[in-house]
Amino acid sequence: MNSEFLILMKQEMGVTLILFILLFLKIWDGIKENGILLHLINVLLLLNFLLGFVLNQNGELFNGMFATNSLRVMEKSVLNLGTLIISLQAYDYLKSHKHLLEFFMLLLSTLLGMFFMISSNNLLMFYLGIELSSIPLAAMANFDMDKIKSSEAAVKMILSSAFASALMLFGISFLYGTSGTLNFQELVSLITGSPLQVFALLLVFSGFAFKLSAVPFHLWTADVYEGAPVAVTSYLSVISKAAIVFVTLSSLAPLFSHLNEMWYHLLFVTIILTITLGNIFAIRQDNIKRFLAFSSISQVGFILLGISSGTATGATSAIYFLVVYIFSNLGAFGVIALLSSQTGKENISDLKGFYQTNPLMGWVLAISLFSLGGIPPTAGFFGKMFLVTAGAAKGNYVLITIAALNMVISLYYYLRVVKAIFMDKNETPVEPLRGSLSLRLALLICMIGVVGTGFAGGFFEHIYQLAAK
Amino acid sequence: MSNTDYLLIFIQFIVAGGFVTLVLFVTHFLGPKRKTSDKLETFECGIESQGNARLPFSIKYFLTAILFVLFDVEVIFLYPWAVNFKEFSSTNMSGFISMSIFMGLLLLGFIYIIKKGALKWE
Repeated sequence: MNSEFLILMKQEMGVTLILFILLFLKIWDGIKENGILLHLINVLLLLNFLLGFVLNQNGELFNGMFATNSLRVMEKSVLNLGTLIISLQAYDYLKSHKHLLEFFMLLLSTLLGMFFMISSNNLLMFYLGIELSSIPLAAMANFDMDKIKSSEAAVKMILSSAFASALMLFGISFLYGTSGTLNFQELVSLITGSPLQVFALLLVFSGFAFKLSAVPFHLWTADVYEGAPVAVTSYLSVISKAAIVFVTLSSLAPLFSHLNEMWYHLLFVTIILTITLGNIFAIRQDNIKRFLAFSSISQVGFILLGISSGTATGATSAIYFLVVYIFSNLGAFGVIALLSSQTGKENISDLKGFYQTNPLMGWVLAISLFSLGGIPPTAGFFGKMFLVTAGAAKGNYVLITIAALNMVISLYYYLRVVKAIFMDKNETPVEPLRGSLSLRLALLICMIGVVGTGFAGGFFEHIYQLAAK
Repeated sequence: MSNTDYLLIFIQFIVAGGFVTLVLFVTHFLGPKRKTSDKLETFECGIESQGNARLPFSIKYFLTAILFVLFDVEVIFLYPWAVNFKEFSSTNMSGFISMSIFMGLLLLGFIYIIKKGALKWE
């Protein structure tokens, strides 16, 4: 029994073990060098990532509270890889930070929460996971302790996520009241569409939309992204969003499968609002973090478009897009992390003439933005194409037309940044940036991911095989 | 209960929300506006406002309270465990081992708190 327990929860156990080690290191206080600690953490994260490829087994634990299968293991590996890349990129920021170990303890706690959330088979377990993954994030948003903006971000984040949790709990209580169970499999047949359950769907969906920062629940996003340190911003915009989408695919959408018409209408409105408003606001931004915040809002709209199809192809395209999105967004954030940690500049206008002094970093940023915009040789194009094709399966051409038009708008603002990097003249461009080896390694992984995922055709098939089961 | 029964509640919501919005809008348009510099100042119980609102304050009490809550909850977990301890130990050691891990993690946290000096009052 015990070996099965360890195998089914291997990734959770891995993260818990890393947390244990970090706490022990903190108390022992033997390693004074932050650089060594960072390398150690990266190696541990890499080991945990590799753990996702061995000993895969499907099964349930804790009386059906916890369930895992190969798809969920893969999703957790993706999150783990993303965290590893962020940790590599944060090298310059954390090298001199005196609360380095606390930073990673909080970060890995949220990762553990996401793992439990993805594997949850019960609303209670799911709620515990979502809380564990959101409360430490607010503390992390406050990690630039001497900046007022950072504390503002943390307060906004904790208040809005508390509000979202309250909405979700309210919905969950309705589900429990009308069905008498919290188990997902039992709930599916008991959710038949009584008014209270429709109301519950609305509430639970609002909670999810808050965490996904889908319009109209997006208002916290830009301020939190701007105030938080770049490492936390990239974690928020990539990992925590991906986790919520994974849960939506594996739990929320199947849970309300009897209410699929209502579910589709909800998604329809949310998608149109999210894509359009995210784009319109992104055009006006000058701060890169705010700009990426709004662009990530509109990307969420596209992911929801894939989810709205309700088929295995839709789920596959959403997961595939998220993998691509992790690589491309982290590529962009890596360059910005370097720029911000060495010069303190975070504006698009500071990027003018960036190519003259930093040709390589200029290309990395440009390729990442091309991928986010969906320009062909990069994987972002394939990701968007699969999403829109999956969304078109319902035959709702209003939705597809709006999505396609918005893709054109999004090209405008992504290319505006590319234009600033390559074409705009500047008398005093940013001085040449010297990134650490970790950061350059992380960017290399991102670039391989951005270009390689698109050409590795088997990858989509692989996810499809897992998702169709 | 049919769907139309909920309609009444919905109408009540609309009326309640609508009344508030209506009154807000009407007062905005009907009332005269005389903005003087005194009126636009921050109001603070009639006393002239001074200084910045962002002042550092002592969190010692808060810290102690929150740590108390944390370890209080831990003790709550111990009660059901202690009551069922006989059944756990009669089959195998797993009940004891999992609780030891739990207590060990909390103990590490406790040592961390003490080393950080979170419980020092002076």
